[in-house]
Amino acid sequence: MLTDIMLGQYFPGNSLLHLLDPRTKIISTILFISSIFLADTYQAYIILAAFIVFIIALAAIPPTMILRSLKPLWIIIVLTLLIHIFTTPGSIIYKIGPLAATQEGVRQGLFMTIRLVFLIVVSSLLTFTTSPIALTDGIERLLNPFKKIGLPAHELAMMMTIALRFIPTLLEETDKIMKAQMARGADFTSGNILRRARNMIPLLVPLFISAFRRADELATAMEARCYRGGHQRTRMKELQITTRDWLAYGVLGIIIGVLVAVRITLR
Amino acid sequence: MSRRNNVTDFVYAALFAALIAVLGLVAIPLPISPVPVTGQSLAIMLAGSILTVRQAAYSVLTFLLLGAVGVPVFAGMTGGIGIIVGPRGGYLLGFLVGAIVIALLKGQHNNKWRLALVNVLGGIIIVYTFGVLWLGFVTGMGLEKAFTVGALPYIPGDLFKAFVATVVGAAVNRQLQKAGSR
Repeated sequence: MLTDIMLGQYFPGNSLLHLLDPRTKIISTILFISSIFLADTYQAYIILAAFIVFIIALAAIPPTMILRSLKPLWIIIVLTLLIHIFTTPGSIIYKIGPLAATQEGVRQGLFMTIRLVFLIVVSSLLTFTTSPIALTDGIERLLNPFKKIGLPAHELAMMMTIALRFIPTLLEETDKIMKAQMARGADFTSGNILRRARNMIPLLVPLFISAFRRADELATAMEARCYRGGHQRTRMKELQITTRDWLAYGVLGIIIGVLVAVRITLR
Repeated sequence: MSRRNNVTDFVYAALFAALIAVLGLVAIPLPISPVPVTGQSLAIMLAGSILTVRQAAYSVLTFLLLGAVGVPVFAGMTGGIGIIVGPRGGYLLGFLVGAIVIALLKGQHNNKWRLALVNVLGGIIIVYTFGVLWLGFVTGMGLEKAFTVGALPYIPGDLFKAFVATVVGAAVNRQLQKAGSR
């Protein structure tokens, strides 16, 4: 579980998609996700599907991984399909008791479900092909222009790194406190609402207090070493936009152009 | 609150972001509903109840960004932008706004009744407003159905969590005041 947390969903590889600059991937993902909402005809969905299959193949991510990214949301996906099929008014094609499936409902439901699947798959591709560290770097660089309005880009990246480093520590601590309190006879699983809420106190209060103590120590240590943020900091790996990245933007531009054209011409 | 400079704020926010992630992994057995619920939204309410506005905003933002870059910190050990733009993404944005609102309105005196009220407002009403609006939009199912599917079944559990957040938040605040830290 811990390695799961540290690596995130990253699937190491050497494909063209892996090699793109994280900034390019973040921007392209956002643009492409928004263009998914442009699709409202069968033709547009076929184009989208073809393109998504193409980038999955390009990224060399095994299809089982892609399916796994859908797993946590499958209930809501199926529910969406059913709600649309049975509640959209139109010509009835099938009846089960009081429920009537309509032709329009099937069409609408399929569109919405496929749109959800596309949304999830495309954005999962970003995290499959980019390590959390590279993405953090990319986010920091992308947020840099917003420093002027007070968004601390560097500090956000720093906080993400600290949080990531402390998740295993605090998990272990939670476990330790839980066992310690259970050894003292604490009971987390019975009693009425009031009792249970009270019983959470001996678990949560020590956990929070110890986290705050760690935070105090860390802040003191950082100040003792004269930490002063990202100002004038140099990096080991500089991000660089190369020909690959412009190529990616070009391809994405064509796809979005086609989608807009399809939307305008086929109504 | 912060006597020292900004570093303290950032580090507190970072540690709390880690706490939010950790509490999301701990299943809380509920007395009312058979569905085991995680402490994620409880942690969000606690972030608002314990931290300053700045710290609360940064900690939830850090937590969301961690999830966005693929660290599996969201409900059910999931992560990635897919979850944020997916049908459940609205709740996540609601977490950010909710925590800020709780921190803004909780007041200075660690008053339990007030804390309970703002926890229900920020941790439940605001979170579900964002959650249901986005769920309704992205699935095209409309607001009424989105509410039935995406809010109604969870509200009893969340009321319980708001209660726990109030009791625990007040206790932690009392301890921190006693310790005189921050």
